[in-house]
Amino acid sequence: MKYVALVIPALFLALFVYALVKRVKLYECFTEGIKESVPLILSLFPYLAAILMLSELFEQSGLSAQLTSFLSPAFRLLGIPPEIAKLVIMKPFSGSGSTALLSEILSTYGADSFIARCACVSYGSSETVFYISAVYFAKIKYKKLYKPVLIALAANFVTVIFGCFLCRFL
Amino acid sequence: MNGIFAAVFLISAVMLLICDPEGFLPALLSGGEKAAALSLSLLAVYCVWLGFFKVLEKSGLAGKLSRGVFPLAKRLFRTDDKEAATLASCNLSANFLGLPGAPTPLGIKAVEKFCAAQNHYAADMLFVLNATSLQLLPTTVIALRLSAGSASPSDIFLPTLLSTLLSTLLGAMLVMIFCRKRKRKA
Repeated sequence: MKYVALVIPALFLALFVYALVKRVKLYECFTEGIKESVPLILSLFPYLAAILMLSELFEQSGLSAQLTSFLSPAFRLLGIPPEIAKLVIMKPFSGSGSTALLSEILSTYGADSFIARCACVSYGSSETVFYISAVYFAKIKYKKLYKPVLIALAANFVTVIFGCFLCRFL
Repeated sequence: MNGIFAAVFLISAVMLLICDPEGFLPALLSGGEKAAALSLSLLAVYCVWLGFFKVLEKSGLAGKLSRGVFPLAKRLFRTDDKEAATLASCNLSANFLGLPGAPTPLGIKAVEKFCAAQNHYAADMLFVLNATSLQLLPTTVIALRLSAGSASPSDIFLPTLLSTLLSTLLGAMLVMIFCRKRKRKA
């Protein structure tokens, strides 16, 4: 984590010094960039809200729990511990939800247990697909979203299997 | 997306109607609340990075960077749009370094540009690369493990890196295979 702490200030420093050398009007330029953030958020907001409501419903209704218990035998077959099935299902929908799940798993099974390690690898190597698709394609009237979304979901799922497999050795 | 949204929403709603009808509205409201809170924190993050990137652009450094990565980005995204390719490559490097929040505004701009140019292949590719997580150091996980009292919090580094590499390669390959046709149409 330490490297992130160094990288960001170094990046800013290097860029701003370079910009000053190039006689860029730093203040004007920086604020001009910031100006774009409000319309950006406004354009994202409806999609964020819809996706988060959906993930909340998904969780509250017990559908995620049902899906988990329905799928965990299949998961076990693929080498994914059933204890982390919920995490695997949750992750595409909600980043904060799956982070909460991960810390729950860590405290329940112990941070260095096999289950916790599988959970960490699954979490770290997959992404919040639905959320990202909502954000990235928010401004685009795009009909064929299902293809990239399916590809991303499939790739993430295969990775979870692979990651759990790796955890047995590494 | 419409299909998934409708299916998950309807099934959840029916289940709630049967089991817990009073939980329906609170669930929606808490989703909305989270969206409002998230938007505010995202706004803060975007302020910082969009300011940063504007300076990057105006100082001429972005142009220099793009000359460096363009040959590679051109092949990956099959595009001749230098600006979009630069945005996309900056997005990928920010992702890789794990700079929190920085990739998103770049990615959105790049996808917009790609789609405006009818290059849906590039948009799909960029999205899949983003959605398969391409991160050098899983900082969140390491921090969580540390706080959970792990003896060696970073020992998941190697398996995570290997699997995230696999997912990214797999995703990219699948896009190359399945999204090819759209480029010809355009």
